[in-house]
Amino acid sequence: MAEKNKKGLNLKLYGVFAIIVVAVILGALTVFTFTARYTAFDPEKTAVAYVDTIVQTGDGYNACKNTLLSKDMKFGDFIRQNYINPVIYENYKPGAGTKGLKGLNDESLKGEKNLNDNGELEGKVIDTMYPFFVNLIESNGGFDAYDAIFTQYISELQKVRKDVFGDTYFDDSAFFTAFEANLATYGESLTGTQDEYDKNTGVQTKVASVGAYQEKFGEDYKIEVVSAGKTENGENKCTVSVTVNVNGEAEVENLPVTLVKIGRSWYVDNTACDTSELYSFYK
Amino acid sequence: MSEEKKKYMKKSEIFTFGIGLFGVALLTGWMPDYTQTFFADFAFKGKGFDSSVISSQISAVFLAAGIIGAVIELVTGFLIDNTRTKLGKVKPWIGFGAVPMAIIAMLVFVAPNTKNQTLAIVWMYVIYSLYTAVGCAVERPAECFGALCSPDPSERSSAISIASFMKSVGQSGGMVVVLAVGIVMKAVMGQQQFKNAEAQGLDLVISTAVCALGFIIFVMIFFMNNKERVPYTREKVSLKDAVKVVFTNKNLLMVSLTKLTGFGRGVYGTVSLYIAIYLLGSKDLKLALLLPMGIGTAVGTLLVNFVLKKFSTKQTYILFCVYGATSLAILYFVATGIGFRSALIIPFLILNFFCGLQHGNTNVTPNIMIADCVDEIEWKTGKRQEGLAYAGFGLFAKVASAFTKALGPWLLYTWSGYLVSTDANVAYAAQSDSTLNKFLMIYTIIPAAFVILQGVPILFYDMVGDKKERIVKELMIRRAAAADRDFDEPANDAD
Repeated sequence: MAEKNKKGLNLKLYGVFAIIVVAVILGALTVFTFTARYTAFDPEKTAVAYVDTIVQTGDGYNACKNTLLSKDMKFGDFIRQNYINPVIYENYKPGAGTKGLKGLNDESLKGEKNLNDNGELEGKVIDTMYPFFVNLIESNGGFDAYDAIFTQYISELQKVRKDVFGDTYFDDSAFFTAFEANLATYGESLTGTQDEYDKNTGVQTKVASVGAYQEKFGEDYKIEVVSAGKTENGENKCTVSVTVNVNGEAEVENLPVTLVKIGRSWYVDNTACDTSELYSFYK
Repeated sequence: MSEEKKKYMKKSEIFTFGIGLFGVALLTGWMPDYTQTFFADFAFKGKGFDSSVISSQISAVFLAAGIIGAVIELVTGFLIDNTRTKLGKVKPWIGFGAVPMAIIAMLVFVAPNTKNQTLAIVWMYVIYSLYTAVGCAVERPAECFGALCSPDPSERSSAISIASFMKSVGQSGGMVVVLAVGIVMKAVMGQQQFKNAEAQGLDLVISTAVCALGFIIFVMIFFMNNKERVPYTREKVSLKDAVKVVFTNKNLLMVSLTKLTGFGRGVYGTVSLYIAIYLLGSKDLKLALLLPMGIGTAVGTLLVNFVLKKFSTKQTYILFCVYGATSLAILYFVATGIGFRSALIIPFLILNFFCGLQHGNTNVTPNIMIADCVDEIEWKTGKRQEGLAYAGFGLFAKVASAFTKALGPWLLYTWSGYLVSTDANVAYAAQSDSTLNKFLMIYTIIPAAFVILQGVPILFYDMVGDKKERIVKELMIRRAAAADRDFDEPANDAD
């Protein structure tokens, strides 16, 4: 297979050398990029990512993905196991499987309105739930009280869906569709929106609005979250002080975020954090 | 045994030629789509850049890279034809170009940590243009190696067929890589941490590294094992003469024109999502829709090899065009006959496989025809110009691709009367029967018309039969004479 070129270039040697050199460079670039972008290897980056997710769009829900709640499973699965499945299946115990169980997600429970919905009634449910969602966030001072939020939201959602669809059908996508749509609308109420048009047809799909952040800090406000330092609290535990700057001025100063290291990854200890200030600094 | 029946290539060379093209396709098939995704969604996530500006700039980046690619295509072709080394004329480009190509491909996914939007945009232009330029300088030589792997047209055709099959498989290899990388990352990191890493585009970064590593390994296997077996001619080719070749050799022009006359056969890709949603009932069926067609294409690539043993390249090309148009027409009539309901799914997917068979022809036969055209040009002019011949074809393919990208959206969003949803809670608005029928036409009848049109230039192609045999024989004699003359000063290591 190998041949020595007449000028002396050993093709086999060159080929092996090229593969090794490229493999080393690819490996180095991958490790560099991974450590630079992946937040969980660094407590300060994890704390900043956690706070940044909350302050940019009021999204304490996705911020939970940096916390101990997501240590063993996807955050979505955590919600399924602890809040949705117990509602769908009678006598369901968190952590147990759902195979073979019959519950409210049985297709036969879907009524005519549900079966024929092209999204309009689903939209009605989402719109009806929005004031309830906002009230939950404001009365609980954010998402720290996630247990109360998910429990109450799901309970109300079941009632609203029954009113709109006229059946008792309920599944996980009913929750995620409504909750995440409400969360997105809540975020837009803070950041404001711009006119949006379908790029292919030119049809307007969103109308411009002014958000609460824009009213307080100006149309082109800029929120930046930075770490103000880290304090070790014993082995595999630390507290990072996080500051939220808006247009270069500190609006939230030295918010303590407690983190725990498990394996190589750092997680926010959500039970030891008070993030309520992050939901009110613009008021 | 006659001179033509002599085997020039080792069996392993046919396989490693395929391996080489598989490696090249693994990386070049991965890069464009996932680069676009990476630039749009991950490269500058959380930097506070204006997403509408970034989006419009990404389109401009790809447009600029396309123009650069077209220029580099011709320049590379010209340079290949003026390359004379002991290794041959295309092998050095592949073997020595592969190293920078793999590294630059990886660097596309290593975005600078900057909060300066202008700098970020400049970086996107520079890095992707650089990748396109280096990519052209490796991909094109790899493709035109087929014309140099053997002086025997039938042996060459078999090698090109098998390599084209491997290439078509390699083009989808990235999809498997990203899937496997995801599974491994989930197992190592846990579900949520994988999700967090995925949200930073890190699965794409690792997948790029895997594709680039696969690329260098496979290309080096090819580089170490394969030899150019057609000697290059010694005459220097001027740029003017080189460009002239592309447009004045009738047969080469006809093969290249098939790309232009058939440019609309690819519009089905634009509408496939809407076919899945509106005609089959779920957008999840888009993959199911494309999979049988992809398998059909791979099978078709092998099938062409068998057909070519019985028929000439011209007959094979026309046969597959007629077959392709017929299969698409049958799909149209079956779909309208059954109606747009769930009962349509199975017959639609089965017929999709049969429609995919025709793509094997467009993957293989033109490459064999170009190799034959290179022989004809050498016979006429005494100059062997694989580089320019394949580059010219590639240039026509790029222009045709731009036309396809313009026609597809126009047909879908304007001609069909498509209604976009203005309700935030309704993803896809209901469409009229006329619009749904036009969707089906964009998927079937319109591509069928272009499949017929792409066969028209081949009616004027005549590098077949006695003419081809005569040219090949005369070239053999000339090369043998040249080899005798050059005994003391061999042109390359071709044997």
